[in-house]
Amino acid sequence: MLQVAIANIKTYARRYIAVLLAVAIGTAFLGATLAVDSSTRATLKNSLGDSYKNADLVASVDWELTPNDRDTSMLSMDTVREIRDLPEVSGVYGDGVMGAALRTGDNGYTVMLQPISAENKLSGMSMLEGRAPLGADEVVIDQEHAEQMGLSVADTVALSSMEDNAKMRELKVVGIVETTTDPMSSSFAQLAMQEDAWERFAGENAQLNRLVIDAEKDVAQTQAAVAEYFHGKDLVDVVVNTADEQVLDDVASMTGGTDQLTIILLVFALVALIVTGLVVMNTFSVVIAQRTRELALLRTLGAKRAQIRSSVLIEALLIGVIASVVGVALAVALMAGLIQLLRNLVPEMSYATLAVDARGIIIPLAVGIVMTVLAAWLPARRAMSLAPLAALRPFDAASVKNRAGLVRIIFGSLLTLAGAALLAYGALNSELLIAFAGGLLSFPGILMLASLFVPATVFGIGKLMTGRSVAGRLASLNAVRNPGRTTATATALLIGVTLVSMIMVGGQSAKATLNGSISGEYPIDLTVAQDTLTSDSVAPKLAELEGVESVSAYTMRTVATEFPDGSSSEEYAMVVDPESYASVVHDEQIVPRDGELLSTWWQIEADHATVNGQPVKLRTTSASFVSNTLTENTAAKLGISDKEGKSGVAIKVDPSLSNGAVTELVESIADVAGVENSMISGGVTEKAMFSQIIDVLLMIVSGLLAVAVLIALIGVANTLSLSVLERTRENALLRALGLKKKQLRSMLATEAVLIGGVAALLGLILGAVYGLLGAHSALSSVGSMSYEIPWLQLAAVLLVSLLAALLASITPGRRAAKLSPVEGLATE
Amino acid sequence: MTTETQQVTDYAVQARGLSKSYGRDSTRVEALRGVDVAFARSRFTAIMGPSGSGKSTLMHCLAGLDNADSGEIIIGGKNLTELNDDQLTTMRREQIGFVFQSFNLVPTLNARDNILLPLSLAGKKHDREWFNVVIDSLGLRDRLTHKPHELSGGQQQRVAVARALLTRPEVVFGDEPTGNLDSRTGAEVLSLMRTSTREMGQTIIMVTHDPAAASYADTVLLMKDGNLVGSLEDPTVASVTEALASLAE
Repeated sequence: MLQVAIANIKTYARRYIAVLLAVAIGTAFLGATLAVDSSTRATLKNSLGDSYKNADLVASVDWELTPNDRDTSMLSMDTVREIRDLPEVSGVYGDGVMGAALRTGDNGYTVMLQPISAENKLSGMSMLEGRAPLGADEVVIDQEHAEQMGLSVADTVALSSMEDNAKMRELKVVGIVETTTDPMSSSFAQLAMQEDAWERFAGENAQLNRLVIDAEKDVAQTQAAVAEYFHGKDLVDVVVNTADEQVLDDVASMTGGTDQLTIILLVFALVALIVTGLVVMNTFSVVIAQRTRELALLRTLGAKRAQIRSSVLIEALLIGVIASVVGVALAVALMAGLIQLLRNLVPEMSYATLAVDARGIIIPLAVGIVMTVLAAWLPARRAMSLAPLAALRPFDAASVKNRAGLVRIIFGSLLTLAGAALLAYGALNSELLIAFAGGLLSFPGILMLASLFVPATVFGIGKLMTGRSVAGRLASLNAVRNPGRTTATATALLIGVTLVSMIMVGGQSAKATLNGSISGEYPIDLTVAQDTLTSDSVAPKLAELEGVESVSAYTMRTVATEFPDGSSSEEYAMVVDPESYASVVHDEQIVPRDGELLSTWWQIEADHATVNGQPVKLRTTSASFVSNTLTENTAAKLGISDKEGKSGVAIKVDPSLSNGAVTELVESIADVAGVENSMISGGVTEKAMFSQIIDVLLMIVSGLLAVAVLIALIGVANTLSLSVLERTRENALLRALGLKKKQLRSMLATEAVLIGGVAALLGLILGAVYGLLGAHSALSSVGSMSYEIPWLQLAAVLLVSLLAALLASITPGRRAAKLSPVEGLATE
Repeated sequence: MTTETQQVTDYAVQARGLSKSYGRDSTRVEALRGVDVAFARSRFTAIMGPSGSGKSTLMHCLAGLDNADSGEIIIGGKNLTELNDDQLTTMRREQIGFVFQSFNLVPTLNARDNILLPLSLAGKKHDREWFNVVIDSLGLRDRLTHKPHELSGGQQQRVAVARALLTRPEVVFGDEPTGNLDSRTGAEVLSLMRTSTREMGQTIIMVTHDPAAASYADTVLLMKDGNLVGSLEDPTVASVTEALASLAE
């Protein structure tokens, strides 16, 4: 049968192009996912390894080895000195980091301060300029941060420990080192000073993370000697690894996060593969339907049922192999391109590394092949059950009645009902996991029942939309003449569109809801604090800045409050004009009423207090960036002094501003108000960050699911072009009877648009329901729900599906129209 | 009964009490009403009869393509009605050959592969000598590498005949083998078939409604309403036409 299978593939190669494409895309998705995983590891290894690139051994403390009754061992400079004396060791570097405060002229920074030893090559630092620090008052700094701070060799900086600002020391920059690629330490400026100076500066904080050791001769011998030293000191929880082992350990501890990313990507790859499977199954069903006579002939000539099945499966296997190889190659090429792009565009990512391991090649290959063969299994079984006599019957092109199996309907109904019940329960009780399980059960259930409602919907909508034109009527009849095929084609698209629209609707609602609760959490966008009482004059100037929606000036007064439990407090409170203040806040809850003190003392449970001997109501808020607040009227009534104090302006920012624009706005506000940046605070940055994160997530997820939609659309094109081949005689007859070429093309276009449109429409409805229920079960416990449907995006999905279906009909339509009536009728 | 059926008789194909009906109740059609028939070895037999007489159904049942409701069919000493699908399939590829009206070649395979198809399905090697005899007697040597669509109708049918003969089956069934051919090429194919009975001893059973085609046969069996109603030995076009005319009365 191999001979027949190969002959078939050779002859009908064009019919398989779409399947090849679909399988290749699905496999490439999976391959790329795995390549992302392995490349992330390799990249981390590459960059983490930077610290040990000159070392043989690394000694560090492993907390898990510490006995329960003891404290974790400490590595100190004393340890370094003692190991340095071991004969097997040629050099030791004690690697430790402590935070410090750096001042350069007018700016302050938090920096990481490291020791640097005479054997500074072990520290992994490369000197770019100047020299290593020799004296106690010399430091080196990394190049990138030196540039940012405007420092160069021979400049003087002031350094103090984080705890004690008073112990400020003047230091001289003597060298510039290369900025590390280690992601754990590259976000802060790296300073290094001579080992002993570091030890004195750090004082009791002089703990080392690890010792980097160079062996005198034999690495294994040295490793044993160092381990022996720690053993002799009874430091049982110190591990001595070779540099390579240490890198692997560090990578493992850092990739916990990327593992989750990989799992999420794998879920999307699975969706793409399921859709691919449907497309493959559909294509094989159609191909086999077209070959009915041929297969029946083989049966007549003595092919056993099992031989027919294996012939179909061999074809599937060959296609699976070719497509999977193409897919994996595509994935590797894609990743290589992406990494090259990353290297070129982002200088800090210059250490990004492409890595494809055996797993990343074998798994997608195997999955692609097995999936293709499995998807062909059902069509192959159908082919197997063909009666030999089918070869002798006149060709029967009438519509096919596929009865949905009773078992499938019952099973599908049960799944749908059970899933819907779980989903409803989960949504009502805010149990995301239960709702998720419900969705997981009900969606396959609905897909199993698809044959009950998809063809009926296609026919109904076809009847409504196509009106009285002959081509239109024929199209809507053709679209449902093989309900099984229509269902399978539509289902592939339905899955993709449902998932995309679920993410869109769910994400939009999540965003609206989160925005609501974030507004409650960060009710004030920005406040500008001033040491003087000049805010009244500054406020109008700030109001004129672009990006500022409204402003409200307030004063800060000292308020002495006594609580019923006898405790008291004397703190600054905001005194606001309630009307203008209400116009700048996102949550009216934080506007105090007259006679009320809005308090941030969440630990005080009383609902009243006394200020200056007069009673005042207390209302507590937990919102961020809010101070104790009272109205001007209340302040006057309580006799709070208006002669002294500070002032400020509360600002509402245009919500459409991006993160970057907000940063710029803060700069210009600081200029106008004549204050330092640090005097401006508020929730606007946090808010912008949250909604940006949601937006990016939505975009990524929709993009990933779009792959599934793309594959499904290839499926629509494929089914249609195969149907056209199948109906060559019939279309030729219609042409002979007077159907114009244009009408024939529009008939096919209508058919494609009907199937694609109905699948997209049903998917949108289903996805919207899932999205709303999902958002409700995930977020209704977080705060008050806002339901939003992104109509524009959903309309775009529908439009894209319709256009793609139309596009899919062009080639088959042209082929059908090219055939002359006589030729077509002559075709067997 | 069993001992009798396992005997190899002088008959290539035998059937007893063969009945077959289609449909139910009001649409019920009795295609075969207890047909008893035996086809002698190395003979070319034609089955004739008007439309709906049951001749095609008889052939389909005899060839194991369709199941009879009752009765038994014995080919090469085996009772077809007792075989399961796989055994029946093996039977078809080893003991039975087919020549169809519409040639029914596999369009993706060339002539040579089409001829060898039943043997490659069985996973058997062909007898090279016999292959040469068959293709030479059918004049196919130059056409072996051609695909079906590159061959004329007559050539395609000769490929189909070669395919049927190559396994040296107990019997070759022809279903209107000349129905799609013009009279000259039809005559050519029919004489080739007759030659194969004379020279290779091949048993052939052919269903046709063309008296000219039937005149190439050794025997003509006449059917009407699901029954065998007569036979003609050494038929001519005239005698067949006359016999058919008498059936219509």
